[in-house]
Amino acid sequence: MAAETEETEDQEYESRVGASYMLSRLLQDTTARISLILIAIISGMALFAFVDAEFLDYRLAETYLYHPLRNNAGTRPLLPPVGLSNQFGDGVLAHPLGTDTRGRDIAVRLLYGSRIAIQIALVSTTIGVVVGTTVGAVSGYYGGWIDDVLMRFVEILYSIPFLVLVIAFMAAFGRELIYAMIGVSIISIPIFARLIRSEVLSIREETYVEAAQAAGVKDRNILLRHVIPNSFAPVVVQTTLQMGTNILIVAGLSFLGFGAQPPTPSWGQMLSIARNYMLPAPWFSVWPGLAILITVMAFNILGDGLRDTLDPRLEN
Amino acid sequence: MSHLRYTIKRLLQAIPVLIGITSITFLLINAMPGSPVEVMLGPTASEELIAAAEERYGFNQPIHVRYVKYILAALGGDLGRSIHYGVPVTTKILERLPVTLLLLASSFAFALSVAIPLGIVSARRRNQPVDHGSRVVSLIGVSTPNFWIGLLLIIVFGYHLQVLPSNGLVMPLTPISEVEGATSRLDVLVQTVRSLIMPTIALGTLQMAAVSRIERSSMLEVLGRDYINLARAFGVKESVITRKHAFRNAQLPVVTIIGLQLTSALGGAVLTETVFNINGMGRLIIQAVRTQDYALIMGTTLFFGVMFVIGTLLTDLTYAYLDPRVTYEGED
Amino acid sequence: MTTPLLSVENLQTQFETAEGTVRAVDGISFDVHEGETVGLVGESGAGKSVAISSVLRLVESPGEIVGGEIRFRGETLLSFEEGPNGERRQSPESLSNKEFRQRIRGREIATIFQDPMESLNPVFTIGSQLQEFIEINRELPPKDARDVAIETLREVDIPKPEDRFDDYPHEFSGGMRQRVLIAMAIACQPSLILADEPTTALDVTVEGQILNLVSDLQEEYGTSFVWVTHDLAVVADICDRVNVMYLGQMAEQADVHDLFDNTKHPYTEALLQSVPRPDKTVESLTPIEGVMPEAINPPSGCRFHPRCPDARAVCREVNPEPRNVSDTDTRHNAACVKHDAFDVDYEHSTPIQSEGDEFGEDLQVTEGSR
Ligand code: SF4
Repeated sequence: MAAETEETEDQEYESRVGASYMLSRLLQDTTARISLILIAIISGMALFAFVDAEFLDYRLAETYLYHPLRNNAGTRPLLPPVGLSNQFGDGVLAHPLGTDTRGRDIAVRLLYGSRIAIQIALVSTTIGVVVGTTVGAVSGYYGGWIDDVLMRFVEILYSIPFLVLVIAFMAAFGRELIYAMIGVSIISIPIFARLIRSEVLSIREETYVEAAQAAGVKDRNILLRHVIPNSFAPVVVQTTLQMGTNILIVAGLSFLGFGAQPPTPSWGQMLSIARNYMLPAPWFSVWPGLAILITVMAFNILGDGLRDTLDPRLEN
Repeated sequence: MSHLRYTIKRLLQAIPVLIGITSITFLLINAMPGSPVEVMLGPTASEELIAAAEERYGFNQPIHVRYVKYILAALGGDLGRSIHYGVPVTTKILERLPVTLLLLASSFAFALSVAIPLGIVSARRRNQPVDHGSRVVSLIGVSTPNFWIGLLLIIVFGYHLQVLPSNGLVMPLTPISEVEGATSRLDVLVQTVRSLIMPTIALGTLQMAAVSRIERSSMLEVLGRDYINLARAFGVKESVITRKHAFRNAQLPVVTIIGLQLTSALGGAVLTETVFNINGMGRLIIQAVRTQDYALIMGTTLFFGVMFVIGTLLTDLTYAYLDPRVTYEGED
Repeated sequence: MTTPLLSVENLQTQFETAEGTVRAVDGISFDVHEGETVGLVGESGAGKSVAISSVLRLVESPGEIVGGEIRFRGETLLSFEEGPNGERRQSPESLSNKEFRQRIRGREIATIFQDPMESLNPVFTIGSQLQEFIEINRELPPKDARDVAIETLREVDIPKPEDRFDDYPHEFSGGMRQRVLIAMAIACQPSLILADEPTTALDVTVEGQILNLVSDLQEEYGTSFVWVTHDLAVVADICDRVNVMYLGQMAEQADVHDLFDNTKHPYTEALLQSVPRPDKTVESLTPIEGVMPEAINPPSGCRFHPRCPDARAVCREVNPEPRNVSDTDTRHNAACVKHDAFDVDYEHSTPIQSEGDEFGEDLQVTEGSR
């Protein structure tokens, strides 16, 4: 009987959250479709920048575009974007978004900035999901003192305002990218830990988990085979939304000087430079912010779309 | 269980959280490269001088001894001296705290007063143009970095139209003589309001958007409940249903969200204060980190933790006030 | 005959869904007379609750009342007319929403909801909720309304009503909350109370108490009731007349005794056989065969034919309206072509197979079995 229950439940779960089914439901939603396309484009850009920067020493950029780091002595600095007419004859589409204070092409720097945003958000969200899920699942499944200790700890992490936490963390360990990633992942952990814990608490009572327990399945296997897969839907939704949030946090950190260090471009850091030129070159402040807005919005729309698809209870 | 007992219980629960915050910050600070004494004395100081100073300030003691000492002193209201400013940390914090509190209060006031009506209208006119419009606004609101909003506001209203000041925040109780062009208290207050507008919008937009989203979905949920239908069936007017019968229930998830938004608002304050050059707690902590001012980092982090704990407590109490079931469920 | 208190004619309510139009209520008619308790019976999904909501205009989007006429004491509450483009629209005789809310809801027609746990607002005391409805519908000042509220709570047998007045719903048991809901209905002194399965969520003992309470109250006030239920035992207990619904339409309408003793519709028969009764042993209980189809895509002809043991070829083609098939002078309507009143040559039509003949073993009536 227990085995039978397990199987039907598994099938049901498969059919409900099977990736292809999910995708096809999601694609019926136009806005979700647009957001997926946007994310694909941005991720493609980020991947391109990553490969070029890490392995090719910016050769692709240099050959086909402009070098994103090197000062461009030949180009006028703070050249306005097309439309505000760069009347100095650099060719209309030479620098469509204009150039920065060192004559570097803003469009190219935005492109390479996408890499920092996506990379940090992706790594930190992933760490957050993995660690948070483990902590939450263990905490919720075993309960008792384990739950108490873990949850108190999570609550403490949750109580320190996140920007302050990451800044303190980076002040201690250094301002390099890797610490930004770890710092931001630390603030994602409590969110997933709490989410999974509450899911586990409700799933633990379900008959098929009880059946598995009665049938003598090991705790670890129950957690891995039943509890975690069934919390899949809310985690996918939260992960998507958290990507957006983390991009915002990373941008904020870079704006304050904690994050990718110059000359490596990041959106937040570009804004903090632009801030000093708001009067002569206001458009300089527009682009990086717009890039952040579009990226974060794409993740938010996708997250909302996923929630509507995966979780009909939260229909809006 | 009475509200008083509930309050006390929640306050007691906050103690381990505060202890946790101090320990984590303490550990982090001690992981920082270089000792505070080195920073204080500068790079030219001799080894002996440094050793002597470390001895004097107790930095050569083991970390747990220093931690206990710090906690004991903190309980007595002594958070140490700021190396950079040369004044006690508490003095510096108390000078900056009101600024940040004013900024936070005004941005939450802005966020709630816009978001709640917006969310309700959106829910009542579901899938009509108003609803679509407000949903798009909220979506943009939760996706925009607040410091960028600040920059755009400064460009438009500060530099281009030149209608609002883009630097600093005039506190309402600043001596009249210290405020430029002010001849009366009223002038100062006008300056306060003018200098608050842009930071408030910058900081409050995220909160506003988050709250209006939850207000909408929560109102929709409540409006579909049986008890709302029952009220309709007994001839209660729609406007009364929205204002009275549904409103209170719909605010419950909203209060929860506001509690969760506290951390992001505090983080946002750091950014907003930086953008508008406002001398509040946020700039203070950045300053402290830049100058490796250890006592100040500890103190500011601790105070941010305290602000969070108090904010959470307030939202919890509001929740308990709104929902009669809470105090009972709280027993277990 | 006297004018009925409530008369519903050819009422149609439908829901637009992604899968198509669901005709939840598809042309039903019934009357309620002064002082009478009328049963509205059927499996879940038959459209009983939608019918009740339609009378009170509580149908919410994507649902909509699209046709029919509702009269209360002869006054038209709702009717439809043909618009200039041939579309059907509410006629100007219908009461405006505002008038309907002010004059009818609560005041003339009150209602008791199904789920006592969900129907009371958790953040207000039961007293304040009750008092508010009394203030609105009896135009009493707060002080008097409070007295009436406490008095009514006493009448529905809530102990120490003065003390309980300021308690919140979560401090009451399910049965007690149902009493509060009943108090709300009677406190407004309406002439008609629509009760939507008010005892379904309660256990049998409490259900019995509530039914007794309602009978007593009805004797006292002479209020008419429409009692929606899927439980024929309840019907036998309290109803004077019964309407049996199947898939949004009326199957049979009769006096309660006629319905039980002289059943005219095969569906009613099946329902009766599926109900445990003291005079029957469990072995002789026959479940209704098959599952009620969805109202979104109802079967052709008589909607019951896929499950009807008496179905013949003609049943697939003719969708019978209820007609008087009584052998006596009390009216007894049935929507079944096997009666002579229909004259479609049922006698010579070939019997067809239905789930009723075939799959009897594993299919059960959807709700009666719960
Ligand atoms: S009309 Fe035919 S199918 Fe319908 S109930 Fe009568 S006998 Fe059965």
